[in-house]
Amino acid sequence: MIRSLASSLNAALSPGAKVIASLALVGGAVTLLWPIERAPGLELWMFSPAHREMYRSTLETWGDSPEREPVEVSVFGIPALERRLMGGIFSGVDMADLVEVERAIVGPAFRGPVEAVGFVDLTDRLESEGLLDEINRPSFGPWSTRGRIFGLPHDVHPVLLGYRADLIESAGIDLSTVETWDEFGAALRPMIRDTDGDGEIDHWPLAFWPTHEDNIEVLLLQGGGGLFDADGRLIMDSDRNAVLIAEMVSWCVGPDRWCVDVDEFTNASNSQKIEGYSLAALMPDWMCNIWKEQIPQLAGKVKLMPLPAFEPGGRRTSVRGGSMLAITRSAEDVDEAWAFAKELYLSDELAQTLYTSTDIVTPIKRHWDDPIFDEPDPYFMGQAKGRMFIELAPEIPARTSSPYFRAARLELRNAANELYEWGRDNGVYTSEELLSKAKEILEARTDLIRRDVERNVFIPREPDTGESGGGGEGT
Amino acid sequence: MSITEPPRAVAEAESSALLTPPTPEVLNRDRALNVAGPAWLFLAPFLLVFAIFVLYPLGKSLVLAMQQTYGPGATEWVGFDNFANLLRDDLFRLAVRNTVVYTLGSMFIQLPLALGLAMLLNRPSLRGRGIYRLVFFSPQLMGLVFAAMLAALVFEKRAGLLNQALHWLVGFDLDFPWLQTHIMWTLILTSLWMYVGYNMVFFLAALQNIDKSLEEAASVDGAGPLGRFWNVTVPSIRPVASVVVLLSLIGSLQLFELPWIMLQSTPGPGNRGLTVVMYLYQKGFETGDLGYASAIGWLLAVMLIGLALVQLWIVRREDRP
Amino acid sequence: MTPPAPPTKNQIAGATSHPLLSVCVHAALVPLAIITLIPFVWLLLASLKTPEDFSGSMFLPRGEQGGYDLTRLTFDNYTRLFTDPSIAIGRAIVNSVFLASATAVLATFLAAAAGYALARFRFRGRNAMTILVLGAIIVPPPLLLAPGYQLLFDLGLLDTFTGLILPVAAPAFGIFLFRQSVQQSVPESLIEAARMDGATELGIFTAIVLPLVRPMIGAFMLITFLLMWNNFIGPQIVLQSPEKMPLAVVVAQMVGLYEQDYGLLMAGTLISVLPVAALFLMLQKEFITGLTSGAVKG
Repeated sequence: MIRSLASSLNAALSPGAKVIASLALVGGAVTLLWPIERAPGLELWMFSPAHREMYRSTLETWGDSPEREPVEVSVFGIPALERRLMGGIFSGVDMADLVEVERAIVGPAFRGPVEAVGFVDLTDRLESEGLLDEINRPSFGPWSTRGRIFGLPHDVHPVLLGYRADLIESAGIDLSTVETWDEFGAALRPMIRDTDGDGEIDHWPLAFWPTHEDNIEVLLLQGGGGLFDADGRLIMDSDRNAVLIAEMVSWCVGPDRWCVDVDEFTNASNSQKIEGYSLAALMPDWMCNIWKEQIPQLAGKVKLMPLPAFEPGGRRTSVRGGSMLAITRSAEDVDEAWAFAKELYLSDELAQTLYTSTDIVTPIKRHWDDPIFDEPDPYFMGQAKGRMFIELAPEIPARTSSPYFRAARLELRNAANELYEWGRDNGVYTSEELLSKAKEILEARTDLIRRDVERNVFIPREPDTGESGGGGEGT
Repeated sequence: MSITEPPRAVAEAESSALLTPPTPEVLNRDRALNVAGPAWLFLAPFLLVFAIFVLYPLGKSLVLAMQQTYGPGATEWVGFDNFANLLRDDLFRLAVRNTVVYTLGSMFIQLPLALGLAMLLNRPSLRGRGIYRLVFFSPQLMGLVFAAMLAALVFEKRAGLLNQALHWLVGFDLDFPWLQTHIMWTLILTSLWMYVGYNMVFFLAALQNIDKSLEEAASVDGAGPLGRFWNVTVPSIRPVASVVVLLSLIGSLQLFELPWIMLQSTPGPGNRGLTVVMYLYQKGFETGDLGYASAIGWLLAVMLIGLALVQLWIVRREDRP
Repeated sequence: MTPPAPPTKNQIAGATSHPLLSVCVHAALVPLAIITLIPFVWLLLASLKTPEDFSGSMFLPRGEQGGYDLTRLTFDNYTRLFTDPSIAIGRAIVNSVFLASATAVLATFLAAAAGYALARFRFRGRNAMTILVLGAIIVPPPLLLAPGYQLLFDLGLLDTFTGLILPVAAPAFGIFLFRQSVQQSVPESLIEAARMDGATELGIFTAIVLPLVRPMIGAFMLITFLLMWNNFIGPQIVLQSPEKMPLAVVVAQMVGLYEQDYGLLMAGTLISVLPVAALFLMLQKEFITGLTSGAVKG
């Protein structure tokens, strides 16, 4: 009986099919027998292999301690981490005990009732242990909702302006007196020329365009605008935002424009930066490290300065991105997880490694005295850039954590782009003339988001009495 | 290899040890055997898996579509609100419009091209047919993720392969931002590369099975190549063509991963790359509103069923005479 | 004008015996074939280039003085790929092989059985079943993502290979194909004869039906293998342990937050493409014939 079964199968399967069938058998055996080691200690999920490297020594020290099990770390790409996180929060599946999450994907975790947020509420612990004062206050913003804080901030991420000092200074231009964006544009205008005679302009002052989602937000926050207020309400169509968007678009449109569409992280744009096609760019602290890795050719040619303000006396920095460490609802031993979180994030050593390996400035204020931040950085022509970032750290604009943040930011970008195309097609180039159209476009796009916000049955329409962790204007 | 096996296999089968000589009890049992019984037995594995992993979640998704949820324990019943909101949702309408444009553009370009290629490859004495077939099918082997990443690099402005080639050939604008303003076209072109070979294989199979005597008869009647095409080729491949069209329709309307990866997990500037399934994913897995996402899924299912029925009806009608 | 002479056999057959026409056909096909293959060539070269060369040149790396410098090609990316323990590509390959082949085998036999039932048995409910299967082809998978995930959780099948394989083991499209194929290739009379000779139903299925639909078996196994091999959304959602991740996921995850280590990514992609390319070469004939018997004359 078996033999005839075998012969039938033999007749039914072509050589290729037999290959697949045998792979299934062999593969099955191997997979089932290959063991997976499961460690009983804490589990930590993160998205950055660089971070895992940085935490290595802390992880080892924790693991060496006799009462504690070593922490198991898994690194996932951001989309994978997001899926896992959302799966865990919305389906109640087991997650790791601790997660390091990035700003852009944490929003949905705050969509439901405050009691149901997928992370452990850390507000009371932070308060009682005095950490709310030890850590840069505005940095808690993106991890708070309705007055409760759900994560330890990893960073501050102030934003400065990085510029080609080599090209600019040799052209005889001094940027140290520049205080506003208008002055900046005017100062660098002489450099907008065709220097190599090929009929095309070779230098533009600023790498910025109405399609650069992240940087639009950076500038908006700098100028005092924002997407959401401190209570999490949508303020995307505010008058202030309209003014700022009109201003930004006016830099990019028309014959007097001084911005150029050079974006970030791609090979093409890096080449353009090397050529000096764009002379300056918005640089959060982590971007310094990106440039060192991706554009080593610019070492010793770049300098940093505070962002020119929108008005005289205005804010000279902004903020971009961020990650936090949170304890998830799946954690069995919250106290152990909390102890580990503190050890990981609050140590001197981490503050130093963070800066030396990724140029990121710590949010723990007591580490700001460390001389490491005063060291001259050769890439930036010997500037003590750490200190420069730290000096502006307390001034970064506050942000909140709306679940609609990502959608709103996308629509903001769409609004800017729409305004740009309208201005370009209708010959409207100045910020005053663009203003009313900016307001109109913003209102239309905000409506799209607003309808979504109003559908939400979990977040009360009327603002809570509690303040959010960030305070002040938010995003 | 011919379609039906020669009698050799039958002879082998007959001599198989599984065919025992009938005893009276066996004969009686077989005659009394409800023919339906074994049929259900063969269907059982499929039905089991289907019921558990398709029907049950399908039902659950209908329930979900009537709710707004945030994780276990935070569920609110909202009735048909999700559907009502959806029909008023401008972004949803844009998604539908984009998806339909893509589907039509894609099908009307891809399918004729696939048919054309198949006809070219159908020449009997064509050398290297196997190689051509393999070459055109090969993009399928790469998988959607990598194709999308590749496409993002090809359509990149300045350094992208397409702009460089066009610039070199006809002085095309090196900075043309395909991925900002002409997203649908980049998607259509990319999926053209990916799927033409797949559809071509179906068409080729169909063409190779056209009854030669029909073609002969048509030629004898004086029909030129075009006449032969319309009167012999097209009707003969209609069954396959309708399968191809249906599959293409279903696949195109569910476009998601390709633009998602190409536009780096966003719907692109002005939401020009937003498709229905992308919207579903955003609402369901980025915002966590599974109820709204399920409602989108159901509207999509309704669209698909509607179109499939329309297509079926068209095919039936043409089969009548 | 006199009526045209009756066509010769050659003319009916497409008349490629005419050399000029043959050249024209090739002239049309060759550029298209080249365009189709260019991305593969690019992929191969990209996997052999260092990061500077990747941004510096389109295809072949350039030397110091201009012109091409082939000595700059390197296997570095592959070495890194196979020796980096955090990528664990060996295990990923094993996982992929298992997942794809097991699913292929399971789905094929399930589909063959169901297709056979719908094709050669007359029973009440057959029409309903057939419509069910056809309808199932249309159900959009995204609709089932969320509740399906919840179901796997309730069944305790999350983070298991079973949980990944079972939901796709009932392929409606496959049943449709096998139904056509059985109708095409397995004559009723044969089965009747076998039944009258007293064969068991299972016996008929394995000894008669399966060998006769051999091409379709090969074709469908290949299709399913290919689908599962490249599938990365499913595994990312269902599987949690990194050790269980298949190749497609591992390679896709190599795209970090900002670092685009294209060389590594391209090497991984190529590694991912080779096995399926090999299988396809082996199963080419079946694939075509299988599709023929299944889709044609439907």
